[in-house]
Amino acid sequence: MLGRLENNYDVVVVGGGPAGLAAALGARDSGAGRVVVVDREPDAGGILLQCIHSGFGLHYFKEELTGPEYAERFIEKAIDHDIDVVSGAYISGVGLDSDGTHHVRVMHDGHGITTVRSQSVVLTMGCRERTRGSVRIPGDRPSGVLTAGLAQRFVNLMGLLPGKRVAILGSGDIGLIMARRLVLEGCEVVGVFELMPFSNGLNRNVVQCLNDFGIQLHLSTTVVGIHGRERLERITVAPVDQNLQPDMSMSRDVACDTLLLSIGLIPENELSQALGVELDVVTSGPRVSSTMETSLPGMFACGNVLHVHDLVDYVTEEALLTGRFAGEYAQGIRRPKDNIRIVTGNNVRYCVPHTLSPGREHTLYMRCREPMKNCVLTIGDLVQKSLSFVVPAEMIMFRIKPDILDRFHGDALRIDIHSAGGET
Amino acid sequence: MSHVENFTCIGCPIGCPLQLTHEGNEIIEIHGNECNRGAKYARQEFIDPRRALSTTVAIEGARWKRLPVKVTGPIPKDRVMEAARIIHGLSVKAPVSRGQILLTALLGDPDVQVVATRTMVLSGSPSSLVDNAPSLP
Amino acid sequence: MVGRYDVIIIGGGVIGCAIAHELSRFNIDVALLEKHAEVGFGTSKTNSGIVHPGHDTGLDTLKGRLVVHGNALFDSLATELHFGFRRIGEINVAIAESDLPILERMKKQGEDKGVPGLEMWDQDRLRREEPNLSPALIGALYAPSAGVINPYEFTFALIENAVRNGVALFVDSPVQSIVPDGDGLCVTTPRDVINGRFVLNCAGIASDQIEGLLGFHSFSIQPRKGEEYMLDKRLKGLVRRLVFPVPTPITKGTLIIPTFDGTLMVGPTVRNVEDREDFSTTAQGAEDVFSFVRRLCTAISPRDVITEFAGLRAVSDTNDFVIGPTRVKGFLNVAGIQSPGLTCAPSIAEYVRDILRTEGLSLVEKSNFKVDVKAPTRFALLHPDEQEIRARENPLFARMICRCEGVTEAEIHEAIDHGARTLDGIKFRNRTGMGRCQGGFCTSRCMEILARRLGIPIHEVTKRGGESWIVTPITTPEEE
Repeated sequence: MLGRLENNYDVVVVGGGPAGLAAALGARDSGAGRVVVVDREPDAGGILLQCIHSGFGLHYFKEELTGPEYAERFIEKAIDHDIDVVSGAYISGVGLDSDGTHHVRVMHDGHGITTVRSQSVVLTMGCRERTRGSVRIPGDRPSGVLTAGLAQRFVNLMGLLPGKRVAILGSGDIGLIMARRLVLEGCEVVGVFELMPFSNGLNRNVVQCLNDFGIQLHLSTTVVGIHGRERLERITVAPVDQNLQPDMSMSRDVACDTLLLSIGLIPENELSQALGVELDVVTSGPRVSSTMETSLPGMFACGNVLHVHDLVDYVTEEALLTGRFAGEYAQGIRRPKDNIRIVTGNNVRYCVPHTLSPGREHTLYMRCREPMKNCVLTIGDLVQKSLSFVVPAEMIMFRIKPDILDRFHGDALRIDIHSAGGET
Repeated sequence: MSHVENFTCIGCPIGCPLQLTHEGNEIIEIHGNECNRGAKYARQEFIDPRRALSTTVAIEGARWKRLPVKVTGPIPKDRVMEAARIIHGLSVKAPVSRGQILLTALLGDPDVQVVATRTMVLSGSPSSLVDNAPSLP
Repeated sequence: MVGRYDVIIIGGGVIGCAIAHELSRFNIDVALLEKHAEVGFGTSKTNSGIVHPGHDTGLDTLKGRLVVHGNALFDSLATELHFGFRRIGEINVAIAESDLPILERMKKQGEDKGVPGLEMWDQDRLRREEPNLSPALIGALYAPSAGVINPYEFTFALIENAVRNGVALFVDSPVQSIVPDGDGLCVTTPRDVINGRFVLNCAGIASDQIEGLLGFHSFSIQPRKGEEYMLDKRLKGLVRRLVFPVPTPITKGTLIIPTFDGTLMVGPTVRNVEDREDFSTTAQGAEDVFSFVRRLCTAISPRDVITEFAGLRAVSDTNDFVIGPTRVKGFLNVAGIQSPGLTCAPSIAEYVRDILRTEGLSLVEKSNFKVDVKAPTRFALLHPDEQEIRARENPLFARMICRCEGVTEAEIHEAIDHGARTLDGIKFRNRTGMGRCQGGFCTSRCMEILARRLGIPIHEVTKRGGESWIVTPITTPEEE
């Protein structure tokens, strides 16, 4: 039940965070007999284990929970539903065999390296963080420059502070949350620097993580230099223009011993790429059909590995659905191939899934490119929904009932978000 | 003499900038909000701003060195750092269950406790070889 | 601690370590003093890792005279010491017609020195051999004897075998004074006082300052910075060989370097600096590199950078190696080792050995010289069946630590067994932290292992020694 890896499964779930746990539940719910969640950390729960703040579960549980609480509830559900939860196990490879089954290579702490066979696989590896290298901040290479997520692990799991005088680049929620966290633990946060002219974190976090603690948010500002022989000593910041180019004549130095980078999440698709799964360049995640199946048969994907989410409740919902389809697949059920392609139109940055079929309900997850107030979401000429606002930081979820698609006879369905004009 | 307090509403992503005009403790008017939630929020923030608080405490005998905890009710905003200091003075020994009460009547408020938000079992001492303690009892 | 040695080597870069390795073949006592927490932490770790054919220099300089033999010694050294070495070949490409006569001259210069296999390629041949290079290039000079290594892997292999054969290694040991003492010299570090009959100044950037401790200056060092940019693995295989432009008198130019591990690197820049601790990369440096490299290959852009770093070349005012005895008896310089310094490391070691012999050091070969240093395990490169067998023998092979480069816990321990004491020490021994996530996953795990193995609290683990601490403990309210 816990800790044991069998040789054969109906469904193997790669990663035991919120997506993986919910996918496993969905698979069991669909009738799949043997389901296992494999996670590389000592305990399942994924990134939630270090997200000790609350804000999780408002939709799903109708309660506001902390990350660890949300994770534990799902681990308990998994155990109640006879799902194997194997932690301390790293999946180093997945392959599709000629008989259509999958083999999964697992490096299992204390048990050596084993190969497990599975009828279907759900990819739920989550994200990694963008690094200094990818934004190319010139300067020295001292210690004291790290991502906000690594700092969060140090603080919340290991009882270690990344430093004492901290600057943060990036005002997304992770950066804001860590600003507050570090102040609560006795650090000085010298400022949060944000490239864009707005924070893309929740207002709640700007207020409760920065304003409450008197931490300055410097918008339209970025870090242009890192200085320190062995340990960070100071950073150079500069304002940016509307093309996001720094004005070096206005640069100034900020003394600090730590720089946290909260500059973006990248779906962790190394494994998917190695398998040859087709990726969507906009999401950096796999392209999926309406059954959340990737371009490889029997391989499904959901959660942050598919596209970066902001609400764990949506991850859960997406993953439950994905798990159900993966479970069905494992039991031999094959759905007809989708025949409707989604086309992203005005102010729609991306949409998953990428294709649809008539005759079923679908849930679409999408993001806009730019903030808009008083707008209309249109799906072909089938749907027109008024939205009071859309912002890129908030994922839009939309359910399409089966009868709506029955009225559609084309093969490309276009989604747009338009300003409503003079209408309120 | 009337004064104006500024707030950013946190009810939804629009984040309406709110202005609350008051004379002493009496609220004269609130504007800037596009819906009722904004008015309620401004009122609450003016009269009795409260905050949730989660943090970690030291734990001995578990796989990790810190146990995540939260307060069971919102506490006054201007006493958050004080509350954090009190909580950080706690130290706990494994095993601990999620929901276990670690401190009652935080800041003298009988309605507010400090509870564990994670279950942490007793672990073997760490070694470089496999530490295979089960995740849940 | 007071010790007496026949030879004291100051500086544990690739040159100091190569000399230590060479001298460890003989029945003499050798000590090596390194100021950093680990060997190779100075210029050597930032080296491009190229083993040059040597056709771009003549015989009028010492560096030009030592390079071909140095290059040739790499095959036997790599076999002996099990470090990675591959002759991938090099092309000097002609961007303009005026480059062609320069290449022809280089070809003749190389042939006169004994550089093997030099060939001129016309445009068709170049396009066939390296289809991803710019079609505007008009030809190239091909030198098959060029190779690539990981310079730090080479340095570690050298010192490890040297230590195995009796060399005493002192790290965290900057030299504070050198004084003539009887028929030798007395060298002082913060923790030790050591006497040596001979002292070899292999101190790189600081070599003129080391000589200055004795009160004279026969040369001066001008630090010359070079910035390098590592590119994402997805560009692996874009070019097969080292790609050089036509060299100038000052520099070999901005190159495309398929490193030993296959990932591409572009650079280095060339800029004199005053500050001997200025290892910063710069926006201008990036601009210089990428604007030039685009002329060689349009598929390379700054978007693919995963990390960048800079090193300082120790360029002497003589613009050549400064190797030999000085006015102080027993004190020899091995300084100003700029490019092709790495290539010449083995031949410099022999050259210095011969100088020592001439200076009166009796060198009798050991009968029991050991050459059984094993190559570090690269688990990620083993066959899956082999991986399973290893994991059965040692469960720590089933624990992934660096998931980007596929490094397991067993290999982390191996690195520590072989001298790694810092995160960078582990990184340079097995690539942990060099991949896409740049340490996001492996850092905390490596720190836990280092803390356990070194018997120190985790907050004392450093990135590369000195003040490069990574974390500090949460203090309870009473402690504040």
